[in-house]
Amino acid sequence: MISTKVHDLLGHSEAPGRFGLFGGAYVPETLVPALRELEQAYREAQEDDGFRMEFRDLLLKYVGRPSLLYEATRLSEALGGARIFLKREDLNHTGAHKINNTLGQILLAKRMGKARVIAETGAGQHGVATATACALFGLSCVVYMGEEDVRRQHLNVLRMRLLGAEVRPVTLGSRTLKDAINEALRDWVTNVEDTFYCFGTAAGPHPYPTIVRDFQRVIGEETRAQALATMGRLPDALVACVGGGSNAIGFFHPFIEDAEVRLIGVEAGGKGDGSGDNAATLSLGQPGVLHGAYSYLLQDEDGQITMTHSVSAGLDYPGVGPEHSYLQETGRAEYVRISDEEAVDACELLARTEGILPALESAHAVAYAAKLAPELPTDQVIVVNLSGRGDKDVETLAAYLEGRGKS
Amino acid sequence: MSERLNRAFSEPAVGMTRLIMYVMAGDPDMETSVRRLSGLAESGVDVIELGIPFSDPMADGPVIQAAAERALAGGMNLTKTLEIVRTFRESYATPLLLMGYLNPLLQYGWERFVEDAVVAGVDGLIIPDLPWDESKGLRALTAELGGELLTFIPMIAQTSEREDIEALTAEEKGFAYVLSRNGITGGEVEIPATVLDFLKDLRQLKLPLCVGFGIRNPKQVQRLAPFVDGVVVGSALVDRLAALDAEGIDLNTMKEREQEIFQWVQSLKAGV
Repeated sequence: MISTKVHDLLGHSEAPGRFGLFGGAYVPETLVPALRELEQAYREAQEDDGFRMEFRDLLLKYVGRPSLLYEATRLSEALGGARIFLKREDLNHTGAHKINNTLGQILLAKRMGKARVIAETGAGQHGVATATACALFGLSCVVYMGEEDVRRQHLNVLRMRLLGAEVRPVTLGSRTLKDAINEALRDWVTNVEDTFYCFGTAAGPHPYPTIVRDFQRVIGEETRAQALATMGRLPDALVACVGGGSNAIGFFHPFIEDAEVRLIGVEAGGKGDGSGDNAATLSLGQPGVLHGAYSYLLQDEDGQITMTHSVSAGLDYPGVGPEHSYLQETGRAEYVRISDEEAVDACELLARTEGILPALESAHAVAYAAKLAPELPTDQVIVVNLSGRGDKDVETLAAYLEGRGKS
Repeated sequence: MSERLNRAFSEPAVGMTRLIMYVMAGDPDMETSVRRLSGLAESGVDVIELGIPFSDPMADGPVIQAAAERALAGGMNLTKTLEIVRTFRESYATPLLLMGYLNPLLQYGWERFVEDAVVAGVDGLIIPDLPWDESKGLRALTAELGGELLTFIPMIAQTSEREDIEALTAEEKGFAYVLSRNGITGGEVEIPATVLDFLKDLRQLKLPLCVGFGIRNPKQVQRLAPFVDGVVVGSALVDRLAALDAEGIDLNTMKEREQEIFQWVQSLKAGV
């Protein structure tokens, strides 16, 4: 157990990059200068109109932003209660929100003069987005991916290779996202002089949680403007899935000051609450240090990171971004969990009522909205961040449904 | 600083330089660990580094990763690691450092850890994912609770900036752990001239310097010895011990074969 005193000490370190008491940069000394260089480059880029315009221009003309805020009328009717809207990040180029962040980071890599890019990926969406951005800017790209994820997200592996990236399967540990991050960090610490680590989620050491959040904030900013333009008011609740938490933090962040808007993060409840059966870090974990940040973790009493499970590769991670730990601790956001079963059901529900097949990750958010909507009056508005499309999950879904004898 | 650690660096080195050897606690079990630590002490090793296994060792290469997996599979944890130290201390005064990642130490409870480590006879800590920037609060608390008997060993990377190096060597006692290259533990290092220049530059600092990562033969030690106060050898030893464990031999044969490894340990600093 971490005492209050040590909790405060970790949080009140003079080093920057804290969200309340969470965050920091707990990395080998070799990486400390590289993280500082990244922070410096990012601060300078933020002040540079040219950089901001280039990023904006890419989002408009390459990604296809703004993404739609779509009212899911048939879904809402089927459920009864609140009106459900979908923020259609699945319509972005490459099929998920991940491209927002990778384009921003690859512009930074270019600015810093780094010719080699590495990334980790779970579901493969960040890997595809990184490979895409590297192809667009002519940079070499290596993606680390757990062997288990290589198997279950095979289509994305093929996409990355077609885009010219080298995919390195990771055969260590649980062979999922956690181990891919370990291997990417080992690569970075070895090749730090010429390599840019394009981190995929709002976790990891400072400054990544801030950089990734800022590049993903466009989701929430657009949602806010679209809600005001079409309804003349803000939504009552935002719902997003949380693995590392990048789509959720980008979605929530522009609404943090709007106390009347509920912020709801949905974690992977997997097969149940037992250790190893889920990836519900905020709901079931304890604070600790993994992958460079002090945040909530799924761990045993000895501080070893435990195995996780989720039907969705992108949520199958024992850590979470430090800003989510902070939002949970302050009570500004609430975190709930949805089981594999409920997520799969939500995929079918959305596909059949709206003709939209969501990624299994995003289906967790849809599933929670489907529980929440009937409890709310019809004049309330829920916006679900539909962070990705489900093409990559078709094989997993088919196998799952076959397993329970439904297809 | 503990008297044991102080003595290791205040007295002149025996052989080419001081030798720091790393083994993983509980690889493959507690009893074997204690026996091998004793063997290292009797081989004249100057400082022992005892690894605490962690599920996600991001600074370690395949050899130490595998050792951690074996130790965890055998049920090793920090409580048992400290028991190994206590048993070793009953017979030996060789300084001993714990090397491990931050999270298991945090979950044990830092206050309890400092107290138990001092009582067990631990002399210092090497925490690869706790850089200088982030360690200030924990160092202060450790000094307050541990009566300065637990020394934080700072790490200097090839990438470290000058002012950081000066800051981290100004306050600390013991020695600075200098990384021979950017990267993870293990592999083999061809010692390039730039590393020797880097070490020459660091010589102006008042703290003793020990170099580690990829050191595995007497030739490397000989090349480094004029520029350092000690060398750290880890993966090369862990690899040899693991190969022995994989043979499935009986205890007596095992002990004999361990003696061959200890002779190799002695050769590391005795000269080519």
